[in-house]
Amino acid sequence: MGVKRALIMHPDDNVATAIEEVYAGDEVEVPQTGKSPKIVKAIDTVPFGFKIALQDIPAGQVIRKYGEPIGTAGRPISRGGLVHVHNLEGTRARGDLERSGG
Amino acid sequence: MSFLGYRRPDGTVGTRNYVLVIPQGIIAKSICDWVRGTRTFISADNGGGRTANDREQVARVLIGLGKSPNVAAVIVHTASPGGGYPELRAERLADEIAASGKRVEVLDPAKDGGTYGAIARGTELAREMVYEASRLRRVEVGDEHLRVAVKCGYSDTTSGIAGNPAFGHFVDRVVAAGGTAFFGETTEVIGAEQTLARRAATPEVARSILEAVSRREALAKATGLDIRTINPTPANLDGGISSLEEKSLGAIHKAGTAPIQGVLRYAERPGGTGLYFVDCWMGSLSIFTGYAAAGANVVLFQIGGGGLSGRTLLEGLPSIVAPLLWCTANPKTHAMAGNSIDFYSGTVIQGKETPEEAGERLYRAVLDIASGTLARSETLRYAEPADLSLEEGRF
Repeated sequence: MGVKRALIMHPDDNVATAIEEVYAGDEVEVPQTGKSPKIVKAIDTVPFGFKIALQDIPAGQVIRKYGEPIGTAGRPISRGGLVHVHNLEGTRARGDLERSGG
Repeated sequence: MSFLGYRRPDGTVGTRNYVLVIPQGIIAKSICDWVRGTRTFISADNGGGRTANDREQVARVLIGLGKSPNVAAVIVHTASPGGGYPELRAERLADEIAASGKRVEVLDPAKDGGTYGAIARGTELAREMVYEASRLRRVEVGDEHLRVAVKCGYSDTTSGIAGNPAFGHFVDRVVAAGGTAFFGETTEVIGAEQTLARRAATPEVARSILEAVSRREALAKATGLDIRTINPTPANLDGGISSLEEKSLGAIHKAGTAPIQGVLRYAERPGGTGLYFVDCWMGSLSIFTGYAAAGANVVLFQIGGGGLSGRTLLEGLPSIVAPLLWCTANPKTHAMAGNSIDFYSGTVIQGKETPEEAGERLYRAVLDIASGTLARSETLRYAEPADLSLEEGRF
């Protein structure tokens, strides 16, 4: 356990990108422009380059990176959790949803 | 700023000085095996059995490569299976290339003593052309003569947070100097198209961007598949990218912030200078060929590396006549394939450099390679074959 770093790309983002290997229990420091860094306690392993939730994200809520939607939460995501394909649903070019009428 | 380049009769400036032999086939390959300083390429597709639109696309590639500022002279032969179609006739290709003012010769086995005779005559011609080309000196020219193309691949999140932002500043720098830059990969704009459309120079260009993306998204949906089983690729997913939107939003950072002057087809030459969006597929065996044919005199590949485990060598890709730079911001990729990497911007992630500073450093590195320093991939003879990105099926 130790202090690790993750980056946000835009102030509206609700996820940050780990730039070190993060393990459950690590304190993760997220620099913010003009403010003191946000500190989030990791509850999952978040590998280098993967995303960590900066707040609780209820199912169906938009996940933002670069200030833009990158998908929605497929199930509730807790602050400090890993955000990836297991809990983030892409919403574009989804032929599978199209066919099932979704 | 400036670089040392080869002035061409049409006013463009080359960063290389090749003799090109086209189309593909044993005649072109044999001549190139015999004569140094020559280029040709191998592709599975020669236009045979293709629609008129696709044949015209092949013609655009061949003519475009011939007119490339990096090419001093061209040999075109008639012995291609696609050569009977009006679009691909050797005389047509030769005439359009010759309009750029460079020397073009046509080989015809029927008149030149068969295949062996055409190879012999072509070898003699190529030797003479290469000799003549060698007499041309590099001269100092303004950096407005840079025509660069950027692509990202094997993307992971380092691409979006450091590699592509550094590319973006590089592209802004090229455009600010009066140069030309190309970017494309329409599938990987899905989710970021509104951001790009806001940067269009005119409402027509904005409409073209949105139309290109909606066409491509409709094709993707028609597969009935979750796009994530195709794109993001397994390498992207392994690198931490979770959706196509996320990949797209990271990918467009490589195109900087300049106004987008137009939307081009694959291998289409732009009408002016500045930044252009090319409506094309993302494949690295396809896109660099198209960029070189559009007139790019240097091409750049930004890679993440999530799926590159064990790849200590990064080979040449089919940019044919344009030097290709491999670039990364991923410290693991850099550590693994450092001897193949032309530019590293992991410094941005470590906070040692801003994306602006990295972009400026890249700009200087590109001017150096434009002036004659080899890109790492140019030290290898091997380059992957070309895939000409045809879209209308075979019949």
